[in-house]
Amino acid sequence: MSATDTSAAAGAGAGQAGRKLTTARAIAEGIAQEMERDQGVVVIGEDVGAYGGIFGATGGLLDQFGPERVLDTPISETAFIGLGIGAAVEGMRPVVELMFADFFGVCMDQIYNHMAKIHYESGGNVRVPMVLMMAAGGGYSDAEQHSQCLWGTFAHLPGMKVVVPSNPADAKGLMISAIRDDNPVVYVFHKGIMGLPWMAKNPRSVAPVPEEAYQTPIGKATVARVGTDATVVTLSLSVHHALDVADKMAAEAGVDLEVIDLRSLVPLDTETVLSSVARTGRLLVVDEDYQSFGMSGEIAARVAETDPGLLRAPLRRVAVPDVPIPYARSLERAVLPTPERIEAAVHDLLKA
Amino acid sequence: MTEVVFPRLLEKEPGAEGVLATWFVSDGDQVASGQLLAEVMVEKVSGEVLAPAAGRVSLLIGEDQTARQGEVIARVD
Repeated sequence: MSATDTSAAAGAGAGQAGRKLTTARAIAEGIAQEMERDQGVVVIGEDVGAYGGIFGATGGLLDQFGPERVLDTPISETAFIGLGIGAAVEGMRPVVELMFADFFGVCMDQIYNHMAKIHYESGGNVRVPMVLMMAAGGGYSDAEQHSQCLWGTFAHLPGMKVVVPSNPADAKGLMISAIRDDNPVVYVFHKGIMGLPWMAKNPRSVAPVPEEAYQTPIGKATVARVGTDATVVTLSLSVHHALDVADKMAAEAGVDLEVIDLRSLVPLDTETVLSSVARTGRLLVVDEDYQSFGMSGEIAARVAETDPGLLRAPLRRVAVPDVPIPYARSLERAVLPTPERIEAAVHDLLKA
Repeated sequence: MTEVVFPRLLEKEPGAEGVLATWFVSDGDQVASGQLLAEVMVEKVSGEVLAPAAGRVSLLIGEDQTARQGEVIARVD
């Protein structure tokens, strides 16, 4: 999917051409390669050490780098995010894991009043080269306090870059870019793309990953599928759903969808969205975050304020209606942007 | 020929059954010694299976299938 960025590196895996990794392992490998390169890269968070991260994103790092550089913390988000900010201000490059995005509530002051503002309020004299990593998303009955995406909330508040990969190769490349970036970067991974043995199987969560270190550019979307009939703009797990729907509709209905994987919310790659919509004239935005005041509205606004004439039909949105994520499986499926809801919206969009 | 066995993740229960979660290689692939072949899980504990030797790998069970710890799950020829 990210062939344009990683093709140069793809053939280089000597002896293990096309070596595959889960997204979780790809993230851990990216962090490990940066830790080897730069002594200032450290990992801080709950269960990032012996347990390897509750979603596997830091697996093997404690064994490789020891407890001085991989710090298991108590449940104390304000304290350990503050620790990361202090370390970053002093020149280190910490990767701090918040665990679930839902937990930002207890530590938001550190995140949006300090991590995201120190570089502004110091007139650029103090940098905060920190990565704040967190898990997002639902689909496995973890209910309202462990299933939210919330990337739109972080993107709304100025001062942080926000990246949201959808596949193993981009996950590694974006982690390396995030660590090397001199700004604070919020790195959000959806649990459903990690390739975890205890989650629902997702064939796109295990894929070839180049072995050497490489960067996937922050702020650059990718066209995951080229098509002509309509543009689906989305990110993270919804990219997988959109591609599945595109394959199904191509086979069954002869519909040719273009799927754009945003990969970053901040900065947002408006150009890639506009050039696609200019060709197809039809736009569907799919987001697993809440619908109102979020990413889907932002995409719509950017198209409308550039040239409302690009759209030949009213745009459509498939997002979580403005309710907490239910626990009951049937209710949860009703609010998530499932392939069924995406397919229905595409039919609606093409009829208009 | 070298046998690849399901690792013993639960020491106290040598005969415990687990699940082959993910194969990272395909049947017939050429693999290097020490290369990651699979991720397995026993109860909620997951573990890695590395290639014990270099050669051509034959997969003996599929993803999501169960096996006992110590059972042969692949061969490297």
